Amino acid sequence: MKDALSQTEEIVAQGKKLGADEVIAKTTFGKYRQARFSNNQVDITVAWNDYVTDVVFAWKKRVVATQVHNFQDADAGLRNLLKLAKVSKENPAFAGFAQGNFSYAQSKADKKLANLETPSEYIFEAIGAAEKEAGVKVECGGILFTKYEDVYLASSDGPVGVDSRSAVEFSIRAFTEREASGHGVECSSTLKSFKPARAGAKAGRVAKLARNPQMGEEGVYDVIFDPLILGSLLGIWGGMTSAYSVLVQQSVFADKLDKRVAPEIVTLSDNPASYSVADRVFDDEGVPARENVLIDHGILKTYLHNSSTAKVFKTRTTGNAGIIAPNPWNVEMGPGDMSKEELFKEVKNGLYLTNTWYTRFQNSAKGDFSTIPRDGIFGIEEGEIGKSLKDLRVSDNVLTMLGNIAAVSKERQHVHWWIEADPPSLAPYVLIKNVHMTKSK
Amino acid sequence: MPSACRLCVQGWTRMDKEIVDYALDYARGKRVNYAETRASSQQQDRLLLRDGNLEAYTSAVDSGFCVRIIAGGGIGFASTNKWTREEAREIVDQAYKYAMSAKRREKLVFAEEKGVKTEWAVEQKEKIENVPAEEKISAFVDVHKALACCGVKVVATVAQCSVDLITKYFVNSEGSQISSFVPRIGASVFIAVVEQGKTEQASEQFGFSGGWEAFSVWGVQEKMVHDAKVLKAVITGAKHVKPGEMDLVCGSEVTGIAAHESCGHPMEADRILGREMSQAGRSFIYEGGPYWLGKRIGSEAVTVVDDPTVGHSYGYYMYDDEGVKARRRHLYEKGMINEFLHNRESAAKLGVNSNGSSRSINYDREAIVRMSNTFLLPGELSEEELVEDVSRGVYMKSFTEWNIDDKRFNQRYVGREAYLIEKGELAGPVARPVIETTTLKFWTAVDAVSKNVEFDAATCGKGDPMQGVPVFTGGPCIRLRGVYVK
Repeated sequence: MKDALSQTEEIVAQGKKLGADEVIAKTTFGKYRQARFSNNQVDITVAWNDYVTDVVFAWKKRVVATQVHNFQDADAGLRNLLKLAKVSKENPAFAGFAQGNFSYAQSKADKKLANLETPSEYIFEAIGAAEKEAGVKVECGGILFTKYEDVYLASSDGPVGVDSRSAVEFSIRAFTEREASGHGVECSSTLKSFKPARAGAKAGRVAKLARNPQMGEEGVYDVIFDPLILGSLLGIWGGMTSAYSVLVQQSVFADKLDKRVAPEIVTLSDNPASYSVADRVFDDEGVPARENVLIDHGILKTYLHNSSTAKVFKTRTTGNAGIIAPNPWNVEMGPGDMSKEELFKEVKNGLYLTNTWYTRFQNSAKGDFSTIPRDGIFGIEEGEIGKSLKDLRVSDNVLTMLGNIAAVSKERQHVHWWIEADPPSLAPYVLIKNVHMTKSK
Repeated sequence: MPSACRLCVQGWTRMDKEIVDYALDYARGKRVNYAETRASSQQQDRLLLRDGNLEAYTSAVDSGFCVRIIAGGGIGFASTNKWTREEAREIVDQAYKYAMSAKRREKLVFAEEKGVKTEWAVEQKEKIENVPAEEKISAFVDVHKALACCGVKVVATVAQCSVDLITKYFVNSEGSQISSFVPRIGASVFIAVVEQGKTEQASEQFGFSGGWEAFSVWGVQEKMVHDAKVLKAVITGAKHVKPGEMDLVCGSEVTGIAAHESCGHPMEADRILGREMSQAGRSFIYEGGPYWLGKRIGSEAVTVVDDPTVGHSYGYYMYDDEGVKARRRHLYEKGMINEFLHNRESAAKLGVNSNGSSRSINYDREAIVRMSNTFLLPGELSEEELVEDVSRGVYMKSFTEWNIDDKRFNQRYVGREAYLIEKGELAGPVARPVIETTTLKFWTAVDAVSKNVEFDAATCGKGDPMQGVPVFTGGPCIRLRGVYVK
């Protein structure tokens, strides 16, 4: 490990020697494994190893970057970068990389995930759980993914750090009928807390309830969002707190700092916590990654920053670099004080949505969007899950929905799924009032 | 073509064919039913500009190779970006172990193909590698300058440009040996307009396989200035349509997205067979269901093809990533479900041959069934003739928000540039008209098709990990009778 760090530091030193004002190099040795399955059988098992050093080079406010895949190629890569910088243009918004000598938390990555070579037993365990819960034959598909990365970062501005990052993610969709399905996910940074059968059982349970769906009706509903679909929304809301999104007019949160954007019961944070599949100890500038409260009891408290966006907003980095754009790592919604069951009892006549996909905006500054619920869609009648529905679409507005959050559950789940619930989140069940649902005509 | 030297490290390509061949030979030494190695080297340049200022310029070479093995009825895949024989043996061993451990009830096989030995390349009129970085940067700075003086208050501009020089080398245990070179350029521009305290947004994507001549072909400045003026007109003068049944004329951009979403995707055979059931979803088309080969899904006027051989298209290729020769596929033929998109795995399951639809974005991703350039074939009318015959309706030239469900049946398109049609004439801009309908209703309502096909570039997402592949969407203008617009 020391070799990789010292070689990364050498790249930084060489960049400085060549004339760079600032250099950051981040070396990642990544081992990734994935098994994909469908129709209850493994379709393909995949391994990919990646060795890369990302180098960012600043010269007279010109920012250029490259990747080095072999330390022997570093010198040539740096010389090319310098040439590129000299013909490049000044970036007036570039405010330099983070400066300082930071100490970092100890990485809690799980080394077992570096060597998990026989993952299919987890898949069959989850399929079995889905089938047991559904009580009938199910067709299941999904993925099991593991990640183990060793990361070495060095910056000419001071930060030097080593991190290891691990994750195991499982996603399973179970079908009891052609149009009756349920989806479960299980995500963890360690193998010890990883229970794929939980995801399978949930998929099977929802798929059982989803049988014989009827066409849903357009209207305005009180809707309970399952953690999986809320995870999709949290990813979008979290992304809109990036200062870069605000700068480029792709956020509903522009001009809303210290203003109310949600009711008192809503607290949103970004937290690269140790349980998360996005766990990390530093950002891409080497600033310690930390928890940031974004919305505190309904009041927007901060955007997410790197050093350059922080300067624009006259504040300090939040440890969320991206060199160009800051990003959320893991969006958490604070727990409410109701149980899931109590939350359902709040709804006399409404809907329960379990998952969604394909969220698209008409205008991300205004927040008008639609998204298509998939897997179980259920009516709620007098607090109980009722008939199974299909073919409905949420067609609403981000700020309106945030403002209409009426209740939040105590229970929360760590959620990350494909590109639809990304970045990862810690999501409760929430009740949102007056949600507009549309359908095909 | 890429250099034939054993190890090429020439700034924009890094490819060791001997190691690729070695990996295949090593795989053949095991009890495999099939093995392939696929290498790629991509010189990737990326520009990002905000409000005319270059935020960063990235230039890197990404190269590596993968092996895919069928053994014991399963498939194993492994890749690396370390060009050593030791690493080659390691990934072959890993892929073989994975294939053997699949323990499938139904053994996987590939549809038969003959081995192919060939080389192919896309020509460049103006070689990208000879175009100075300054020129590429200036081209997009000028887009911002044009927007700044077009009479519209453009409050944000984000422009991105990607230039990829892609060298590939594919060999398999059936004797195929294919080398290729594709220069590919893509760009996207996002603008936000504020007038009268209200905001509207637009984004455009551009794509081309070929040289820097792409930039003049695209007409980025003109298109973005046009969009800015359209957004201003929407804010300052557009009316809302009174919801109801009416005729709808779709411009080529809307025709193209509908062809992509509600024809191309549901006709992907891997989706039909359930292999994407957990992520991209399944299809409303399935054996034993109401929609299958030979069933009607649209009017006689509707023929949608997918064609990777459209010259210089964003989705262009001559051989797919399984070494199968590319050809045009007639997906919907005169309104009938006609031919699925196949790779060798899906083709074997349905007892046909691959039609060359297997694509991968890089060496470290498996090749799966993908579209290339999906578009509606033209008819005989002019655009004006389509409009002339509408007494009351909407002309939706372009779209903002869109989506479709995961069985590819319920879709929604929200107009960006759109006009009311009254008595056969355009009667002013209309604000965000919405069509939310089914695939069957959409394509069945088409009664006329114009004669001019236009294309738009897009990045099609599918696979896990996500593989965004470059495609064209497109078609002529089409007229839909009696659909619900709100």
